[in-house]
Amino acid sequence: MSITTPAQTASPLVEPEPGTRRLSTAKAIVEAIAQRMRADDGVVVLGEDVGAYGGIFSSTTGLLDEFGTDRVLDTPISETAFIGLGIGAATEGMRPVVELMFADFFGVCMDQVYNHMAKIHFESGGHVRVPMVLTTAVGGGYSDGAQHSQTLWGTFAHLPGMKVVAPSNPYDAKGLMTAAIRSDDPVIYMFHKGVMGLPWMKKNPRSIGPVPAAEYEVPIGRARVAREGRDLTLVTISLSVHHALDVADRLAPEGIEIEVIDLRSLVPLDRDTIIRSVSKTGRLIVVDEDYQSFGLSGEVIASVAERDPALLRHASRVAVPDVPIPYARDLEYAVLPTPARIEAAVREALPSKGTLSSPGAQP
Amino acid sequence: MADVSFPRLSEDAAAKGVVSTWFVASGERVDPSTLIAEAAVDKADVEVYPETSGTITLLVAEGEEVSQGTAIARIE
Repeated sequence: MSITTPAQTASPLVEPEPGTRRLSTAKAIVEAIAQRMRADDGVVVLGEDVGAYGGIFSSTTGLLDEFGTDRVLDTPISETAFIGLGIGAATEGMRPVVELMFADFFGVCMDQVYNHMAKIHFESGGHVRVPMVLTTAVGGGYSDGAQHSQTLWGTFAHLPGMKVVAPSNPYDAKGLMTAAIRSDDPVIYMFHKGVMGLPWMKKNPRSIGPVPAAEYEVPIGRARVAREGRDLTLVTISLSVHHALDVADRLAPEGIEIEVIDLRSLVPLDRDTIIRSVSKTGRLIVVDEDYQSFGLSGEVIASVAERDPALLRHASRVAVPDVPIPYARDLEYAVLPTPARIEAAVREALPSKGTLSSPGAQP
Repeated sequence: MADVSFPRLSEDAAAKGVVSTWFVASGERVDPSTLIAEAAVDKADVEVYPETSGTITLLVAEGEEVSQGTAIARIE
């Protein structure tokens, strides 16, 4: 097998026009991996059930058929062993895509992730790179209990040395995967099960969307203004982007203009886009499906406050209160950042507009 | 004019399924390389591509239960 260096592959387009062909997020991810595998012999896929099963959330469907068992490896249930295998391959110049089935399982492999994958580049004085992608499924909303429903991106983002991305739609999913595989840094690629567009899960309408057929990149570390508005900024990521957009759509007829920012990555965090928006609106709500304390929501608000606290007429957050995710549906939806909770937070932040028009607000 | 049939995914001829996702809308141009739908019976699902080119009209809604072999779209 020939080992390629980044210089050997031409740079793909950056954020081209979406076009008209539609894919699910899961299919967009697979297409990005397959195109990279065709372009670069050093790209391999390994993890639990990534082969014949195609990934339990369809993130690797069909790759085994095209690329065979030399490049698509089903591994035993030992996350430490196969993530370590990926790290070793990456340090030798390959570009492995390694799947940790659920982010919730990081406890059994975190030494490999944060002491090795994330630190080898630093500890080697920049001489050894780890161009690896660790993909993992995150998020709740489908009664999978406290050990299969967490997002935990704040935990990974807190530890230095890894880029952390979480797409909300098929277009970004493909472009971020291409960028992640091509990146010389280790990237944690966190896909929410609720945005994959899977036939057997409750489907978000925006989980099917236009995706260019050619390879392209969405730059890691650049947020997207998903909706423009002047009254209030909702900063969010992943599935919660859709809830934020739904709330913005619902409140628009009342004259409430909400700006929605899809961060797309936690590391690097696009603080400039956040601050540009809050400079305009003066009101900030962070919607985060991770635990509230010590995480993304606090980091976003602190980033604005450090730049200029006078920008903030309002700052609050809609996150998971600091409890495990319940299994019972009603209890689970009581802690998730649902559209109802987001709408209530918006009305609290905009008392005049919110109160004046609230009687007719419920659909 | 040609119909696109719901694929036979189950050996049980009476088994019903659903179009779980439409990737195209009525009035769009499609050809045999266009992924038009995902169809599911029980826990098996399969991608659906048309055999001919033309303008598609969808005949069933996402999630509507249909028998295998039922015409789910028409291409003209």
